[in-house]
Amino acid sequence: MTGRRRNLFVLLFVVGLTVASIVVILSQPTKLGLDLRGGTSLVYQGQPTPQQPEVDAEAIDRAIEIIRQRVDTLGVAEPEINRVGTDQIDVGLPDIQDIDRAVEVIGTTAQMHFYDWEPNVIPQDPNDPNATEQGFNREFDAVKFASKQKPECFRNLCTTNGPTYYLFDRDSLELLTEPSQEKSDLFLDFPRERQPKNSVVVAVPQGTRVVEEPPQDDPATEQDESTGPPEYFVIRDRPELSGTDITSPEQNSDPTTNQPNVTFDFTDEGRESFERITSRIAQRAAGEAPPGVTTAAQAEPLSDSFAIVLDDVVQSRPIINFVENPNGIDGRTGAQISGSFTISEAQDLAETLRIGALPIELKLISQSTVSATLGQEALDQGLTAGIVGLVIVTLFLLAYYRFLGFVAALGLAVYALFFFALIKLIPITLTLPGIAGLILTIGVAADSNIVIFERIKEEVRAGRSMASAISAGYRKGIATIIDANVITLIAAFILFVLATAGVKGFAFTLGVGTIVSLFTAVVFTQAVLGTLGRTAFVRSPRFLGAGTSEQRVRWHFDFTGMSKWFFSVSGAIIAIGAIAFATLQFNLGIDFESGTRIKAALAQDASVEDVRTTLSDAGISGAGSASIQDVDDPTFGDNVVQVEGEIAPAEVGKAQAALEQQYGIERDDDGFQNQSIGPSFGEQVATNAVRALILSLLVIAIYVAIRFQPKYAVPVLIALVHDVLITAGVYSLSEREVTSATVAAFLTILGYSMYDTVIVFDRIRENEPRLPRATFSQIVNRSMSEVFTRSIITGLSTVFLLAVLLIFGGETLQDFAFAMMVGVASGFYSSIFIASPVLTAWKEREPQYRARRAHLEETMGYVPAFPEENVVARVDEPGAPERPEPEPEPEPAAPAAAQPQPPPTPAPAAPAAPSGDGEDGAPGDGAPERPAEPLVGAEAGGDDAERRRAAKRNKRRQRQRRRKHGRHR
Amino acid sequence: MAALVWFATGVALWHFTVFVPDRFWAGIVGAFLGAVVGSMASGAAAHIASGRGIGDTDILTVLVAIPGALIGMGIVYLIGLRTEEEQPA
Repeated sequence: MTGRRRNLFVLLFVVGLTVASIVVILSQPTKLGLDLRGGTSLVYQGQPTPQQPEVDAEAIDRAIEIIRQRVDTLGVAEPEINRVGTDQIDVGLPDIQDIDRAVEVIGTTAQMHFYDWEPNVIPQDPNDPNATEQGFNREFDAVKFASKQKPECFRNLCTTNGPTYYLFDRDSLELLTEPSQEKSDLFLDFPRERQPKNSVVVAVPQGTRVVEEPPQDDPATEQDESTGPPEYFVIRDRPELSGTDITSPEQNSDPTTNQPNVTFDFTDEGRESFERITSRIAQRAAGEAPPGVTTAAQAEPLSDSFAIVLDDVVQSRPIINFVENPNGIDGRTGAQISGSFTISEAQDLAETLRIGALPIELKLISQSTVSATLGQEALDQGLTAGIVGLVIVTLFLLAYYRFLGFVAALGLAVYALFFFALIKLIPITLTLPGIAGLILTIGVAADSNIVIFERIKEEVRAGRSMASAISAGYRKGIATIIDANVITLIAAFILFVLATAGVKGFAFTLGVGTIVSLFTAVVFTQAVLGTLGRTAFVRSPRFLGAGTSEQRVRWHFDFTGMSKWFFSVSGAIIAIGAIAFATLQFNLGIDFESGTRIKAALAQDASVEDVRTTLSDAGISGAGSASIQDVDDPTFGDNVVQVEGEIAPAEVGKAQAALEQQYGIERDDDGFQNQSIGPSFGEQVATNAVRALILSLLVIAIYVAIRFQPKYAVPVLIALVHDVLITAGVYSLSEREVTSATVAAFLTILGYSMYDTVIVFDRIRENEPRLPRATFSQIVNRSMSEVFTRSIITGLSTVFLLAVLLIFGGETLQDFAFAMMVGVASGFYSSIFIASPVLTAWKEREPQYRARRAHLEETMGYVPAFPEENVVARVDEPGAPERPEPEPEPEPAAPAAAQPQPPPTPAPAAPAAPSGDGEDGAPGDGAPERPAEPLVGAEAGGDDAERRRAAKRNKRRQRQRRRKHGRHR
Repeated sequence: MAALVWFATGVALWHFTVFVPDRFWAGIVGAFLGAVVGSMASGAAAHIASGRGIGDTDILTVLVAIPGALIGMGIVYLIGLRTEEEQPA
């Protein structure tokens, strides 16, 4: 296929894809994340149960299925339930109204057991005839009492496979966290997962269980006694039936009291067991009753009972009246659980029992709610930032590259269409961090064009035809772009694998966007330019923004020579950063520190102290020490308060209810937003961030070592360390909050910094074989002077995008933009002034470069900054130029024996004087050849015939070198 | 946090090695390793001796890393000198 046909085919293909993309965009809905549409995200950590001693993938999958069924009962449309890592489940509930109820329904393990009560209660005082009705008032006392029992497991019926551990505060004797089968799990809620100070762990042996019995309403008095304190009983763990023995649970009403209850039937096996147990209970009570008890009323206080225990709480304890049911209760009629239920609670319990118990326990470690109003606002801000960013970058490219800029703008427009269509088609759940990733990929897409256009301009300036320049520009630019984009993809992939859910969206969008941008920037724009390259109106270099060779920007700056001053500036900045780390540390957000941030738009005005009192009265544990402040956020409401403190995720619902009851919340529940992170989740975010950082460094270093040379990888890493330290230093000094979004931005900075460094290194690698007599510092200076314009243009494009994010983006996007702005500036600086000089210093130690340097010092007395300034001829040869200062020295002796000889001097067709403005770029197809290194050689002053022969030899050697080293790496 | 402070101190001091003739073992990269390892070692030693926690940092945390970084770079420099003497270029 000829080039023209191929271009036409690509253009037709792109037109087809564009039409398809428009159809997809118009017909498919956009899947918005909770942060953009409003809703609640609950993150649970799975913990083992006796039935499931290990939280494996299968257990998590079963739990997800059960959670999905439970969520369906809440009537939530389009819930998102995903496994996170190995043992966590993220439950996304859009538009949920009653968060407390959702937490209750989803997180309840629902392990139900039936106990024969009286023989299993371990009495505090064995001589007390009423001991089975006397529980402990404090849980600590009950647990302490239980801990003194001997371990046993009667007929293997016990519900635990080892001791149960409890964690109490040593002073208040309050339970600090839920009991656990694993002692270490008790500390998951605490910093570094260690036992908190002033706490005590009590172990209850296997075979003994502490259960809580809430106060029950007494139907006789018709008084609500459910608000009193619960009692705690220590029982022998010998259940007679379990939740698997029941069927068809449903909410009903007690015919006597009209109270809501839950009725259920038994399985065949369960029915037999139930009849047997109730018969045994009735006969035992009848045997113990005094003679003369003949009526049900007389038998009532003397009858025994069985208890229905759900997750350590006695739900119901019905009496088996031995006069009414002397042979027990017929299981065919089923049974009921009656307690102080509301209808909704009874319905939820019935549904929970119907769906079945979770195979594992779920611990709520993070809860966040986004108001739909604020979500919409964030979406608007994100879209505005994206559109404005696209327009500004387009205008910039048009202004700088003129026609090439127009082609790039066309490429960006096609990119935006394809990407948006992919977002809808896959579908990618669009989150706020995802929008940040999307906007940043505009920068990636623009940069791919910039790299190629700079190459095309170089080729045009070198005198090539437009068609040839386009072909050569793309051919040379593609390797650079692929290297740089692979690095961005690696950073995105590692971020996706290791980061938390919110940042995953960012990473995924960044990755997909990078791949799409490769297609549009390389394949599509090449086809456009290839088709138009032969037309008359693109033949003028000025029309392409290339100008003439005299007009072009020429960087003639001794980058490596001046690097020591740039090093000093960096050293000073990092030293200031180190002092800031030590004295100011970081302002870590709740993502890392754990805690809760609530933002509520109150219907009535309330002072900070009023809100604190309300929360304290509601029993919110961290309310006393919480930071409460009025917030000015007119979009959200007139009386907005923000509460930040150590409030457990499970208490957020209680806080919301208390504020709603006391002051009212605007727009129903939409005026309430919160983020609540448990300590284990916060630590996990931090650990994953460090892992992602280290893994990114390693993988990218390996990639650079393979694609370039191992020596190129080390300066890349040092430059990255430089960037991360400087960005972290700025965060520490400015005391800006560090959130998980900041971590994502940090990791993206790594990608960007390496992207920039790879583009510089790529040119150094390319120039190395083309400048066989130059010192490494000269090669680096030359390479940097060639890519400096591209670095500035790319840096500016990215800075424009980030400035747009800072101005138009919401809170989260501004977080990204700030970190990225600092990182991009640092990355641009480090790739030029840190990575390259470090590489120079290291490579200059290699024998060949030492020899070249020594040779130049011997022949010239100094090493010029640029290879064009090298004078390698002997001064006594005819035609040689005058030697620049310092004064010429006598002809140097041959290099020391230990040093390798510099490569033979190629005979050039070069100007007869040192040039400060040598040709750029390599010769290519159809273009006039130029010397790889302008030299003033021994042959330079010879006759014309000799010069022509020398030029031919030079060309031949260059061709051989290109064949050997690869022409366009 | 203290480890980050020591690391940053070492890296900051390393930047000034460009003013010293490049006779470090493994060149500027060797100097980098010397600075970082030295600052981490002296910082950790001083911190452990003071009995403070890893998150407990102040200006002293920076200062205690400086001698280590200098010693680390000095050792790398001496090794480089010796290597040069043994294997003259």
